[in-house]
Amino acid sequence: MRVELVNIGKKYEGRENFTIRHIDLAIEDKDFCVILGPSGCGKSTLLRMIAGLNSITEGDLLFDGKRMNKVEPKDRDIAMVFQSYALYPHMTVYDNMAFSLKMRKEKKTVIHDRVKEAAELLQITEYLYSKPSEISGGQRQRVALGRAMVRKAGVFLLDEPLSNLDAKLREHMRVELVRLHKSLDTTTIYVTHDQTEAMTMATKIVLLEDGKVQQVGAPSEFYDRPQNLFVAGFIGSPTMNIFHGLMKNGLFKADDDLFTVEPNEQDKKKLQAYDGKRVALGIRSERFLAGEAPKNQITVKIDVIEMLGKEQLLYCEFPNGKECVISEPGYFEYKVDEAHNFHLDTAGLHFFSEETSERIN
Amino acid sequence: MSAKKDKGLYLSDRPPLTTLKVILLGISYILLFFYVFIVLWPLSQILFTSFNGNQGSYIQIGGTYEFSTKHFDYLFQETYFLNWVLNTIVIALATAILTLIFVSFTGYAYSRYRFKGRKASLMAIMLIQTIPTFAGIAAFYTLHSIVISIAPWFSRQLFLILIYAGGGIAGNTFILKGYIDSISTELDDAARIDGCGNLQVYRLIIMPIVRPMLAVIALWSFIGPFLDFMLPSILLNDPKTYTLATGLNTLITDQYNMHQPVFAAGGLLTAVPIIILFIALQKQLVSGLASGAVKG
Repeated sequence: MRVELVNIGKKYEGRENFTIRHIDLAIEDKDFCVILGPSGCGKSTLLRMIAGLNSITEGDLLFDGKRMNKVEPKDRDIAMVFQSYALYPHMTVYDNMAFSLKMRKEKKTVIHDRVKEAAELLQITEYLYSKPSEISGGQRQRVALGRAMVRKAGVFLLDEPLSNLDAKLREHMRVELVRLHKSLDTTTIYVTHDQTEAMTMATKIVLLEDGKVQQVGAPSEFYDRPQNLFVAGFIGSPTMNIFHGLMKNGLFKADDDLFTVEPNEQDKKKLQAYDGKRVALGIRSERFLAGEAPKNQITVKIDVIEMLGKEQLLYCEFPNGKECVISEPGYFEYKVDEAHNFHLDTAGLHFFSEETSERIN
Repeated sequence: MSAKKDKGLYLSDRPPLTTLKVILLGISYILLFFYVFIVLWPLSQILFTSFNGNQGSYIQIGGTYEFSTKHFDYLFQETYFLNWVLNTIVIALATAILTLIFVSFTGYAYSRYRFKGRKASLMAIMLIQTIPTFAGIAAFYTLHSIVISIAPWFSRQLFLILIYAGGGIAGNTFILKGYIDSISTELDDAARIDGCGNLQVYRLIIMPIVRPMLAVIALWSFIGPFLDFMLPSILLNDPKTYTLATGLNTLITDQYNMHQPVFAAGGLLTAVPIIILFIALQKQLVSGLASGAVKG
């Protein structure tokens, strides 16, 4: 099902300002759309509006072109998985999963088949007759998924479903969820504050901040072409290094004369209009190349080393105290307090206007 | 490991007792035994007296004992005891059911809905709590004359039920609201998406979870009419309509109708319905059902 949000806004009772406003978004059929944002940005509100649990203050919500603003949650053809799982504690796993079908007065045989099918797919057949209190967190999570699956709804809504699992299980469930999305063939809308989940699972990411959409696109676009400084700082781990400075004669001069960078030809053209103006330069940690070079070189002192095995993160300091993170292969030998030369890969530079925070190149 | 080897090991999680602590512990036990005696001795006297054939109109301590059921015979044959039992059970059941129904609605509404006057009315309920139920008499006198003129069948017993239930609803609303507050609202949301309306959310999801609390409320509402003496003694004027407390009271207030051992026997039997209800609700009274609803 195609989900469309047209100029949607939400204002809670008793609040002065809109929590989110002017949200325009089109989620295509069979998309795995992740709504990403820091806590308090309004992402859960948005999902609950799509589910019909919160009312829509302004704008239109369209499912396949039909306006859904005033439709009851149960009639919207949606299924939802909650952060706390929200399993009914007094019912067995089987009854939990069968509940929505029973409410719709499906035939008993149909209910049984659907529950069995979902239970097999999620590997919870063994626990079908246990109560939620008797099974582990990971299993409850699966039951919550199963409860949503049996409905065979047009839109699958997930509200931070993995945040209560431990790291190992979360990694495992990420893959399972993608697999599930493929086999269910539905539109999935997934809310999370975890950028790793967004990057690994989504076909489309919507980054929300301060009640506004910051960027919409595929995960790779977010990493390679962040639209503004907020996106640049939010996506990617370690966080992108941002240097503030001045454009002069086609060269970027970092504050305090830390270093000078000559952008590549393409970037130079885009930066022409900014000559003499302040801009921000972003560069990801892996775009620093070890060793000396005639141009674009920096010299820094290593402050802390984080060894991750295949790579190591070097937390470095410029002479003026400005910090940056550089990642190099794990087999390179570095020591704390050593000074080293690196140069910047001009293909991996991001320029942002300091006035508007928007991307330039 | 053998038991012998364990003997030398100190296995308690608490630090070992010092002499002072041993003495204090001894004093605690003495106090506890004293307390148990205070509770159990009168109970045992009721039991012995009611089965003692040598007791006359007054209870005498230290007389000879002879097993007999004559006090019970008197109770069943010479008094309206069965009427009183029936009256009390009907009033108690009606009170419990009325209270449960109203408290279900009010507790759920106060917990889950935001509406104008919510806080103010909650405060009002709290304040109303401080007015003793006895003040309901005033309400009774004003209401009674009005209601009787419209519906002559509305008996004094029905009024009693209304006063009991009305008194119970206020306090129990608070208790149930607090209990429902502790249940995640995501359960409501999930049920709504699964196809429940407002009442279904309560009936199918919330009510089964709060069942232990409902059982407690039901039990207390049921016990109330068994214990209360004052209201029925003022409201009810025909001995046939008396409840147990007022009915049995007639056996010990009138000098010409003094049967203290019969009173004891009646008191003993009064406990039976309450005990039956308690056993029936025992399973429901075990709480902890809500665990496992959400991550925990």
